[in-house]
Amino acid sequence: MNFQAVRASFRQQATQFVSDPQWIIPSIISPFLFTVVILMIYQDVTGPVVLQAVLGGGVLGMWANTLFASSFTISYDRVNGTLESLLSSPTHLIDIIVGRSIWNAFIGLVNALLVFVIAELVFRTGVAMVNPLLFFGTLILTLLSLASIGLIFSAAFVFSRRSYVLTSIAEYPIYVLCGAMIPITALPRWSQYISYALAPSWGIDAMKLASVEGYTSMTGMNVWIDMVIMIAISILYFMIARSLLATVERNIRETGSAIRY
Amino acid sequence: MTAKITFGQTVISSMINSVRNKFSMIPVWLWLLQIVLTSFFSMLFFALMVDSIDSSVTVEYVVIGNAVQSVAMTTLYSVSEIPGTEKHVGTLPTLMSTPSSLFSIFFGMAIFNVLSGFLAVGVSLCYATLIFGVSFASANYPSIVVVIILTVLSLAGMGMAIGGIGLRLRTSAIIANVFSYLGLVLCGVNFPLSYLPEWLRTVSYCLPLTYAVDATRGAVDGSTISALWEPISMMAVLGLLYAVLSVILFSFFEKSAKRSGSYDMF
Repeated sequence: MNFQAVRASFRQQATQFVSDPQWIIPSIISPFLFTVVILMIYQDVTGPVVLQAVLGGGVLGMWANTLFASSFTISYDRVNGTLESLLSSPTHLIDIIVGRSIWNAFIGLVNALLVFVIAELVFRTGVAMVNPLLFFGTLILTLLSLASIGLIFSAAFVFSRRSYVLTSIAEYPIYVLCGAMIPITALPRWSQYISYALAPSWGIDAMKLASVEGYTSMTGMNVWIDMVIMIAISILYFMIARSLLATVERNIRETGSAIRY
Repeated sequence: MTAKITFGQTVISSMINSVRNKFSMIPVWLWLLQIVLTSFFSMLFFALMVDSIDSSVTVEYVVIGNAVQSVAMTTLYSVSEIPGTEKHVGTLPTLMSTPSSLFSIFFGMAIFNVLSGFLAVGVSLCYATLIFGVSFASANYPSIVVVIILTVLSLAGMGMAIGGIGLRLRTSAIIANVFSYLGLVLCGVNFPLSYLPEWLRTVSYCLPLTYAVDATRGAVDGSTISALWEPISMMAVLGLLYAVLSVILFSFFEKSAKRSGSYDMF
């Protein structure tokens, strides 16, 4: 891993974001509005399920941001004609994309915190957390697990400009499958296996265990086991993304097909 | 001697061009898959969520709401991002240097998205009854047809107006994005308008999607066209107003950009 390149692409992504503040709309405001819809539906519901809704809403905001940012980061390079320059530089694409993803994950975190604050101040959810410190740890790790899925999506975007279709199709299935709003146990048995293969499902379970009083884990395990499984799956995603990006990059260099997409 | 290009000719040629562009980017099957799956999963998400809690909002309510909302994604969002896309890929100056007006060019391009809107809402309503069990036993089909036509056209009008603003901005897709989400919050798609503060409801009443969702629910429950006169007429009036606004915006920004030579300055 080239950490110098990761740091540089992180700074470049941050500069781009700050110099063009309209990105606040799709990165923060739109996912936030989506969470508002969820909180409105939960308006006449009481009890611990409200905290679950707030947490779920925060995670969905993070996911929407990660997916949107990971898809647009490469698409914009393609449209702006900078993808060829990136590919011809000695730095590997994975380093560039990881740096950008860390910035996007940071924005996702801002998004989630905004949801928690607004839920408390505007919607008066009045919820207390069992272990706030542990919750914050699980939140950060869940965010990184979402970013690791984003890396795999990025590889698809380098491969084809048609991948934006994948983004629009994948948004809601992951909302359903990761258990943010709908308990995984309420889904059909076959789809539960897909949920278990998603790192954020374990992260969300861990977040709920760390914060919701009396919450029963989806598998009956404790918060630490959930976190270990989430980290293991996230590392696997990272390895897959790295391998995919290396293959796509090598293929493009061999065939000179960066703009033949 | 140069032949005068009519509005109709420009509309037809830009419509054909936009269809060619679309399917040179993605194959037809992938485009169909996107329309078929995106609306299904959004309906499924809200239906499962409402079903898993003890809320006063019913599954039928969110299923119909999201079926109508699917039009907003295919029509409002796609139509409004047209000028931004042309600007971004660098073809806007070329389009502006042609003798045709920008409005006629973008109007032609929007027709394909309008047709996609009909497909999206048709597919979504089929899901509503076949998968989510919404009863159409007492539905008034003529009302449904009229409401769907007006929904698609009024949202396309609104999309053109947003696109007109986007002509001035760096990109119109971002405003379109926020309007799509605002539709979920303000238009009674997933919860009744009564949940909103009164001042916010004023904004809801300026959006055609609010009336579209209301009228569709009424039509599915069996209301006739005359019984749905109020939401139907409001949709028609708002659609028309947005369309007129889009003509004004396109004309204003086109003239202003040509005068200052700033159409590619963003």
